[in-house]
Amino acid sequence: MDGFFRKIDANPDMYGPLWITTTLIFMLAAFGNFATYLMQRKTNLDIWNFDVGYFNWAASVMYGYAAVVPAVFFFLFQYFGSRPSLVRFWCMWGYSLFIFIPASALLLIPVEFLRWVIIILVGGASSWFISLNLKECTEGADMMVLIASAAVLQFALALFIKVFFFA
Amino acid sequence: MSHSNTHGDTIPLHPSSAQSDMDEIESLIHEAPSSTVLPARPPSPPRASIPVSTSPPMLPPAGSYSKPPPPAQQQQLPPFSSSVPPASSSSSSAPVPSASVSVAIAADGFGPPLNTLTEPVWDTVKRDLSRIVSNLKLVVFPNPFREDPGKALRDWDLWGPFFFIVFLGLTLSWSASVKKSEVFAVAFAVLAAGAIILTLNVLLLGGHINFFQSLSLLGYCLFPLDVGALICMLKDNAILKIVAVMVTLAWSSWAAYPFMSAAVNPRRKALALYPVFLMYVSVGFLIIAID
Repeated sequence: MDGFFRKIDANPDMYGPLWITTTLIFMLAAFGNFATYLMQRKTNLDIWNFDVGYFNWAASVMYGYAAVVPAVFFFLFQYFGSRPSLVRFWCMWGYSLFIFIPASALLLIPVEFLRWVIIILVGGASSWFISLNLKECTEGADMMVLIASAAVLQFALALFIKVFFFA
Repeated sequence: MSHSNTHGDTIPLHPSSAQSDMDEIESLIHEAPSSTVLPARPPSPPRASIPVSTSPPMLPPAGSYSKPPPPAQQQQLPPFSSSVPPASSSSSSAPVPSASVSVAIAADGFGPPLNTLTEPVWDTVKRDLSRIVSNLKLVVFPNPFREDPGKALRDWDLWGPFFFIVFLGLTLSWSASVKKSEVFAVAFAVLAAGAIILTLNVLLLGGHINFFQSLSLLGYCLFPLDVGALICMLKDNAILKIVAVMVTLAWSSWAAYPFMSAAVNPRRKALALYPVFLMYVSVGFLIIAID
């Protein structure tokens, strides 16, 4: 966590964010379906069908989030005076999504309480990563509102993942 | 004589169109001055006036058209043959003396690509099918003793990938019990967009690969997954599906590996290969999970 921006300073890469997002889409769709299958098996209902809609939703939400949210924050930060770099924002937000990949594997465990614990922990970690790096790169205590909103948004994403894909 | 001339100019392209271009050139050069149809001759009215002299050179000069294809082509061209005789009979004597000249002309001003416009559809289909089969054999069943490893790359075509992608979409759509059209759409979109994005990925990583060659390759490497999907569609046993998909997935990845890894800098091999693997795994998962 110490100095993500320092690490990518010379070469922010787009490979990471793009393929992390794509992998996450596939993981969400696949494991989401598998998780609903496992939950349904516990209740012995046998009406489970593979829901292809998960691919569509995962792709729209993930690609949209990874592309639009950094851009919006870029413009907001510029408006409030600091001088961020759009490519670095995309890079950072993309890498922040990485933790959801092992999380979606863990969310297969069909115990509801455990799932909530996992997603809250993961959401918290991801938000913390975002806010820490935003604070460092935008040199400002008066940007707290923006940083807090970024963190909240990330946490909301985590909750959405749990509620929609791993119901 | 006029009879042979008739057939000489009405039979459009005879199976030489199914040969490779090199073979056509060689046959032209070696054959006796047999072309009875020459550029000088007025073309038959219903046909496009494209010099068809290159094809029938296989005809023996003296007119007994002892050629293999005639029956099929005669059937295809009854209207032509009926309308041509009046035109050809008038100039029937002209072609023969200049037959020797025609070979030289044909050898120089050679235009085989033009012939594919006027050849029978069946010839085109046969040629494309044979190319698909040969590309498939080269790409998916690589054997270390093949004579020309790069042939599949040079001879790329997009029909094969198209068939395989559509077949996979159809098979998945058939196996699905709900949302069939959405399943087809997702499978097709993932594969088509995936192939394009993967190629862009290789190019952006600094690799050297021809865009369409790569599309073609990725499409052909889908063939094993097609087989797996067919097996899964026919027999709905969970264990069988998992095993079949695992095996065909490994086969697909193994087929795609040499081409993709050869295209990029060795240090970035994994970066180029991972997305390919991801795409095939997601399709494989789709095959297993659709029920």
